[in-house]
Amino acid sequence: MERSLAHIALFAALISVLGFLPRIDMVAGVPITFQSFGVMLAGAVLGARKGALAVLVFIGLLALGLPLLSGGANLWSVLYTPRIGYVLGFPVAAYVTGWLTQRLTALPLTFAAGVAAVGGGMIVLYTIGIPVAAYMNDLTLAETAAGAVAFLPGDMIKAIATGLVTGQLARMRPGVVQSRA
Amino acid sequence: MADPSSGIEIAAASVVLGDRPVLTGLSLRLTERRIGILGRNGSGKTTLLRLIAGLIAPQTGTVRVDGFDPFADRRAALAGIGILFQNPDHQILFPTVEEELAFGLAQQGLSQSEALARANAALASEARAHWAKAPVTSLSQGQRHYLCLMAVLLMAPRTILLDEPLAGLDLPTQARLARRFAALPQRLVTITHDPASVGDCDRVIWLDAGRIAADGPPSRVIPLYTAEMARIGATDADADLAG
Amino acid sequence: MLTLTLPVETALHRVSAAAKLAGIAGLGVILGLTADPVLLAAVFAGLWLAYLPLGPVEAARLPRRLWLLWPFVLVIGGWHLVRGTPEAGLVVILRMLTMFGAATLMLLTTRFDALLAAFSSLLRPLERLGLPVNRIALALAMAVRFIPVLTQRASDLAEAWRARSARKARHRLLVPLAIAALDEADHAAEALRARSALV
Repeated sequence: MERSLAHIALFAALISVLGFLPRIDMVAGVPITFQSFGVMLAGAVLGARKGALAVLVFIGLLALGLPLLSGGANLWSVLYTPRIGYVLGFPVAAYVTGWLTQRLTALPLTFAAGVAAVGGGMIVLYTIGIPVAAYMNDLTLAETAAGAVAFLPGDMIKAIATGLVTGQLARMRPGVVQSRA
Repeated sequence: MADPSSGIEIAAASVVLGDRPVLTGLSLRLTERRIGILGRNGSGKTTLLRLIAGLIAPQTGTVRVDGFDPFADRRAALAGIGILFQNPDHQILFPTVEEELAFGLAQQGLSQSEALARANAALASEARAHWAKAPVTSLSQGQRHYLCLMAVLLMAPRTILLDEPLAGLDLPTQARLARRFAALPQRLVTITHDPASVGDCDRVIWLDAGRIAADGPPSRVIPLYTAEMARIGATDADADLAG
Repeated sequence: MLTLTLPVETALHRVSAAAKLAGIAGLGVILGLTADPVLLAAVFAGLWLAYLPLGPVEAARLPRRLWLLWPFVLVIGGWHLVRGTPEAGLVVILRMLTMFGAATLMLLTTRFDALLAAFSSLLRPLERLGLPVNRIALALAMAVRFIPVLTQRASDLAEAWRARSARKARHRLLVPLAIAALDEADHAAEALRARSALV
């Protein structure tokens, strides 16, 4: 119990801190940062449930007005921007990343976590984020999806990083990767 | 039932962390008011402290503190034992001083407002009322140590476990804290590698590789320990890798 | 950065945290109900007026705080200009700036622990549905406690890297930073166990 709570709180803090690492390449109002890497990692390391809870704690902090979203935004300031779908999709992305990591047991952990991050942190997140962004920007889905292609390289790198980092964490702190415990 | 007179009883306790045996068949009965546990890094003394605090359970054997099992009976443990971690940053859980102090009290059953009131009263009685709303990150290392001690004392446990309580502090802070410890009515169990800080204890136990190397009054145990440490220091023992 | 609270007491400091939280949520809804840039500009101007009681220094600082959002303004504004919908762009930008200014005003005039307590009391009715409100509050407080700890850790790691390498650390910090988070979690779990009876 204590350990689960501590992991949830610390990953919420980690996701916040990853948002401070400077990196603002922007595509249509949505910045590319390490923050979504933190979301994927939370799922891959903590598993579906705890990973999603860590992200929800992070969103709770944003709702209290803390400027923790990369670029210094809080939940309220992105409310009516194209970014809101991606932010609210984060917990689902973490959940699916964790769920897939837990199920792809036939694959080595590094590979499983990477594939899971593509599934949760990219496919699922885009599925939520793109329609919302399309609505906010008053564009068609196809137009928005074409714009989101610009995220692909960055997000692929983050998904690969999620796999590599998860694999390394499992080696350096055995037993810590709870999606495989 | 909690029986404060029975002290700390450890019977044939073994702890294995990973696949490394840390404590092996350890039996101890501690009833003195001031107890020191001496040992080198890796001797198992911190594990022993965590075992007594109920943070871990032994793989075999039993641990009783004032008659209760500190691992299984957490409610009893809250009133029975407090532990001061070596690194205050590993102990502090909250962003502000008063939240940190109030937490343990709330866990003991006080309402949040009562707990906050008690925390503020305690700060006021220590002439530190202005600390209440301060972020814990604004405190110095020594002040954070002090905060952790206050958090433990507020919960009024019958036994307090201290893990290297003076390590890394400057001399005035060490002197202040040592004075504070000496005045406490509680049973204190101090673990350290530094024989100087257990010289005033009623009983000193030297732990080596998870077993008791010597046990008795400080006048007997400390010279043995010091001589052995000097002997090891003269050799090149550090080159060996554990396991 | 997480403790913006101004030491100077103003009337806004005395408004309860719960009222301010509800106010922010309410403002969020209201801004969504209108897409009239003139009305939104008026709300934004009103927000600036609300900063005045904090003193001229703080009121003058608002533009600088908002300046933080310039990349978003640039992209959203540029995008809508290119598409020939400057009014729609203005609406998005005004809503974003107003909400950001309002949330900042809340942080400037409310202690975070009070906000957290208000947040848990707003959640309290959901406790009957099985929502573990106390644990949520605990997790939020612990996350806030450990954000500066991990930030410090990240800058220590970057420094340790710089001391021994001419190249930039960047992604090489990710593994040690994640390890730091996991280790801090282990310590926090012990500290939590030492002083709590969570089941």
